[in-house]
Amino acid sequence: MRLELRDVRYVYAPGTPFEVEALRGVSLVVEPGEVLGIVGGTGSGKSTLVQHMNLLLTPTGGEVLVDGVDATTLKKSELRRRVGLVFQFPESALFAPTVEEDVAFAPRQLGLDEEEVQERVLESLRALEAGELAARSPFALSGGEKRRAAIAGVLAMKPEVLVLDEPTAGLDPATREDLLALILGLRNAGISVVLVSHDLDEVAEVADRVCALQEGRVRAIGTPAEVFYREPAQAPATVRVASLLRESKPEIGAPVRFAETLDALRALQGA
Amino acid sequence: MEHPGEGTRNGGSFVVSCESVSFSYPGSGRPALSDVSFELRPGEYVGVVGPNGGGKSTLVRLLNGLLKPDSGRVLVSGRDPATEPFEVRKHLGILFQDPENGLVAPFVEDDVAFGLENLGVPRKEMRDRVAGAIRAVGLEGFERREPDTLSGGEKQRVALAGLLAVEPDILVLDEPTSMLDAAGRREVLAYLETLRAEKTVLHVTHHLEELVRSDRILVLNGGELVADKTPERFFSDADLLRENRLVLPVVQRLALEIGLPPARLRTPEMLAEAILAKTESGTRAG
Repeated sequence: MRLELRDVRYVYAPGTPFEVEALRGVSLVVEPGEVLGIVGGTGSGKSTLVQHMNLLLTPTGGEVLVDGVDATTLKKSELRRRVGLVFQFPESALFAPTVEEDVAFAPRQLGLDEEEVQERVLESLRALEAGELAARSPFALSGGEKRRAAIAGVLAMKPEVLVLDEPTAGLDPATREDLLALILGLRNAGISVVLVSHDLDEVAEVADRVCALQEGRVRAIGTPAEVFYREPAQAPATVRVASLLRESKPEIGAPVRFAETLDALRALQGA
Repeated sequence: MEHPGEGTRNGGSFVVSCESVSFSYPGSGRPALSDVSFELRPGEYVGVVGPNGGGKSTLVRLLNGLLKPDSGRVLVSGRDPATEPFEVRKHLGILFQDPENGLVAPFVEDDVAFGLENLGVPRKEMRDRVAGAIRAVGLEGFERREPDTLSGGEKQRVALAGLLAVEPDILVLDEPTSMLDAAGRREVLAYLETLRAEKTVLHVTHHLEELVRSDRILVLNGGELVADKTPERFFSDADLLRENRLVLPVVQRLALEIGLPPARLRTPEMLAEAILAKTESGTRAG
């Protein structure tokens, strides 16, 4: 699926004294099978933006296109199946007595037969290495386990685009790395992933392209190197180190990922 | 026999103590905490780290009586949170990692005042405390905003203001910066720094760099307290870090990989400078 936002605007509480313009004309495309990182400071509009991707919020201006078709003309249930949105702290929405039933809830709503539902539940839990959690109560799980159970619930809808809003917040670094590996696995399986994160270091590791938001507008969009080297003060630690060295050591290039950066630093020292 | 609380309340040695505390969630095979003992002295700043599922959140919930230990005892300012939760919550405030759960009122200022209303604070004093707390977290001008229109990071600061307005002596911070961007995180950490000595702080985090200047760091893994160390010893203990799934920040990892001392190179600027110094001296020597 190719998901396009064209000049999307959104105003909270329009016509009241509390009116806030959260999006001021955002245009971007989520290409099929890519990881698009969305970064930006607190209040830049990241969460508002992603809620437009399945029309949980209806833009007050501009349009959302699915493979070129105006998304408002599609059935909402269909759109929300194809574009799966995982909210910040999704575990707060877990409710069923077991993880298995929680994950089964959404696919069951689709009217699939029970065999297909069970298959999807197992498949989603396995993809998140959470198979052993199936029979447990969601309320007795650790933070990282709950997060995986909640993401499995969205994955069981078999979305074409998976939108993750701050999926690693509150996870320990090792669990975070597992989740980033999962994102790359989904991408390799052809699913587009939109990763909203305030952690630039993790975006640097997995994003194919990056969109930087600032005050409800797109400040920059492009490859991680294009976006991050344009404004190194708002870049991951790898880019900040390399851009400080670039002035006197231009041969360092423009590394972004940890492994690339380490190779570049080693080459510099070896030279 | 003396009241167990008297000594601690009047400048005694500990404001929080856990004695052989164990807890299991119903239906869970293994204990979430087993035989955990530690104390906090007044004014200490203590970090808590460890993998998800290690017992950090359970510990936090035992401290204000949301959970009761199966065995062992918790004392906060001389009181048992399991039997006197409301008294304990005047002394010990918790900032949880998900700010969404805590915000209930129509406007930011009402939300900040919410905890005070439950304590029966006079109107005038309430207004001053709310204004002071909002100022402290840098949200002036947000008083009449609706929490729904705020970003996750802003909501986290509203929750922090609500906590500060109650003026507890002990702050428990459960991943307080998990929703903040780099600038917001620096701001909140700088503010927490100003509370040092005035408040006792227990700071749960996955961001190890936030604990560089703490007094002690506790490591919880598999429900057990596996280490209680000074930051100097903690950061130089590679085995301890690895065994507990703790990962150093990117700058420190880069430094370590290219043979520079990670503990002294805390920022990208410091690392870049050290690399330049090393390559320059290498060029001269060659």
